[in-house]
Amino acid sequence: MSGETATGGGSTETLDRARSLLGRYRVPVGLVLVVVLLRPVISNPLLLGYEAVAATILIWMVFVAAFNLLFGYAGLLSFGHAMFLGFGMYAAAIGVSGRAGAPQLPFPVAAAIGIAVAATVGYLLGRLTVEKGEIYFAFLTLAVAQAVEFTANRNPLNLTGGSNGVTQNVLPGFVESTRGQLVVVFGGLEVDWYWFVSAVFLVSMLALWQIVRSPFGRSLVAIRENGDLARAMGIDTTRYKVQAFTISAAFSALAGSVLMVDRYGASQETLSVITSGDTVLMAVLGGVRYFFGPIAGVFVWQFAEEFLNEFEVLHLGFTSVDLSGVLTHWQFFLGALFVVLVVVAPLEGIWGYLRDWVRDLYVRLKGVAE
Amino acid sequence: MNTTELTREDLATVSPAWWAAALVAVVLLAVTFAVEPGLFIDQAIGGLVYGMVLVLVTLGLSLILGLMGIVNFAHGAFFMLGAYLSYSVVVTLGLPFWAALILAPLAVGVVGVVLEITVLRYLYGSDPIVSLLATFGLTMMIEEVIRAYWGTAPLEISRPSVLTRGTDLGVTTVPTYRLFLVGVAVLTIVAVYLLISRTDFGLTVRAGVQDGEMTEFVGVNLPVRFTAMFFLGAALAGFAGVLYSAETGMRTTMGETFVILAFVVVVVGGIGSLFGSVVSGILIGVSAYLTPVVLSALAEVTNQPWLALQIRDLVPYLVMILILLYRPRGLFGEEGFLE
Repeated sequence: MSGETATGGGSTETLDRARSLLGRYRVPVGLVLVVVLLRPVISNPLLLGYEAVAATILIWMVFVAAFNLLFGYAGLLSFGHAMFLGFGMYAAAIGVSGRAGAPQLPFPVAAAIGIAVAATVGYLLGRLTVEKGEIYFAFLTLAVAQAVEFTANRNPLNLTGGSNGVTQNVLPGFVESTRGQLVVVFGGLEVDWYWFVSAVFLVSMLALWQIVRSPFGRSLVAIRENGDLARAMGIDTTRYKVQAFTISAAFSALAGSVLMVDRYGASQETLSVITSGDTVLMAVLGGVRYFFGPIAGVFVWQFAEEFLNEFEVLHLGFTSVDLSGVLTHWQFFLGALFVVLVVVAPLEGIWGYLRDWVRDLYVRLKGVAE
Repeated sequence: MNTTELTREDLATVSPAWWAAALVAVVLLAVTFAVEPGLFIDQAIGGLVYGMVLVLVTLGLSLILGLMGIVNFAHGAFFMLGAYLSYSVVVTLGLPFWAALILAPLAVGVVGVVLEITVLRYLYGSDPIVSLLATFGLTMMIEEVIRAYWGTAPLEISRPSVLTRGTDLGVTTVPTYRLFLVGVAVLTIVAVYLLISRTDFGLTVRAGVQDGEMTEFVGVNLPVRFTAMFFLGAALAGFAGVLYSAETGMRTTMGETFVILAFVVVVVGGIGSLFGSVVSGILIGVSAYLTPVVLSALAEVTNQPWLALQIRDLVPYLVMILILLYRPRGLFGEEGFLE
């Protein structure tokens, strides 16, 4: 009897240690779970039934998480984040294709240039705007993004391809496209595109997680909660905000360069206000106060979009009017859901509700067990 | 190009840099007029039309922003809704254009009131970011309705024959409709200004903005007044939409373009100043249309063809960046408002 209790105590100790480790590293574990589960879940015939969109979803998660570093943590709402995605996308596309006399560059170099450009623009724009007040900031970033889109549309030096974007010879050497599926070739090793994107996803998200839980990230939260108090405690708020903007821009451009390969080129629609708006919507839908909020938001949004597109394609043989009506209602009701969410609790999002719900359930189950 | 602000500044305090900029601008405009007088007048009036539409949109935006602290992203959607409703009034109902000019803004105003009562009323006093997000969602809904009901293809209406003729201005002939638009817009702006500054209604609203609690103590029904102001702002946007789309047609992207431009105008003019919005709206409209002409004239004079850049859509943002660098609170802005 007593021996059993002793072993029981030992195993509880191990269990406790395992639990505390799990608690401490729940974000990395969760990220790995996202990568492992995403593809099987969405390729389930009951849901989407095809898996090509999984890689795109992962890239969007990186982008929206980078956006949320700025909005959720530093409290700066950028309404023009599409431009940073676009910098990465266009730099990678132009560099790899070597169009219009641009030097032909390996993909990593081109992507690095895009990231550097985005970080520089983020830094300069940040210097100009972060202390302007949040509404000013939102519209200034939006206006600058508009200007960037117009510039790309004008096709300067024949580099950006105007409204057609850059779509010729954009696949880097190590990526091959077979039957519409992307395959990454390292030497003799062939890796599915999804796993390459997963690696980028894990590295970027872990980097963002480290940033968020570092003293730097904590200072951002302090600035968001009370800028005056943070300044009184010796935090250089302007510098921290500018740095957050720069980092966010750089990660967005990274996502953009990978998205370029995923989408077979850079498109002008990526630079539009609609992309920036979608970014905000996804982050808020998921819950901006949580690290996993953007992940949840992107999943719900992209999944709904793809699911309904697929739905339309499946039923194209019948009346198409009805189906476009369904699609319309979906967008309309998503807007309505968003409005309700914002009015009721703007910062919680789906992830916040999910958390509360799970916690309630846990407490109730525990109560029943006792 | 940014010299209009000299009008209210004490001229003695204006720095030499501004004088130099003003001088350069005047010289450039004079050169352009000498090289291409017809095109110059054409584009100046085109810019004035564009600027007037911008002012009308901005007026509603800054009324709602200044009085209620609501950053109304849906303002562009109101503008677009007005344009599309005028299509329905003229084409579907078969009524004359004049009817659309009155009915469409009224309908947009009613939509605005409904949204104010159902959604925005709960956001007074909350973080402006929240109102921005909520109205962004509303924008999505309105645009969806427009796409569903009117479709995504560009639409057009025909204007009454009185307005389709041209008016001879000596060096060039200008479409009469443009002059009509400018005239109507000026009348509207003056009427709004008088309403806010000279009537009891405007007085109580301004009092409510300064101290809502006290104003209600002395017996003013503030919620009704704020709803009325929202009606006015939305109707102004709808009115601008009707005026603008009668010339250019209706497109599903016009809403987002104009709400961003309207905010650019607010930033350049200075938040909290209706006068600033009017000046900066006209300034931005005219400079957007004249800059390409000036550049092409310059290219002709200096024989440097690369100078003739077509940057009309870019000019508002360039003006805004210049203003932010050299005068962050805007031309006539009060310091500290929403900062």
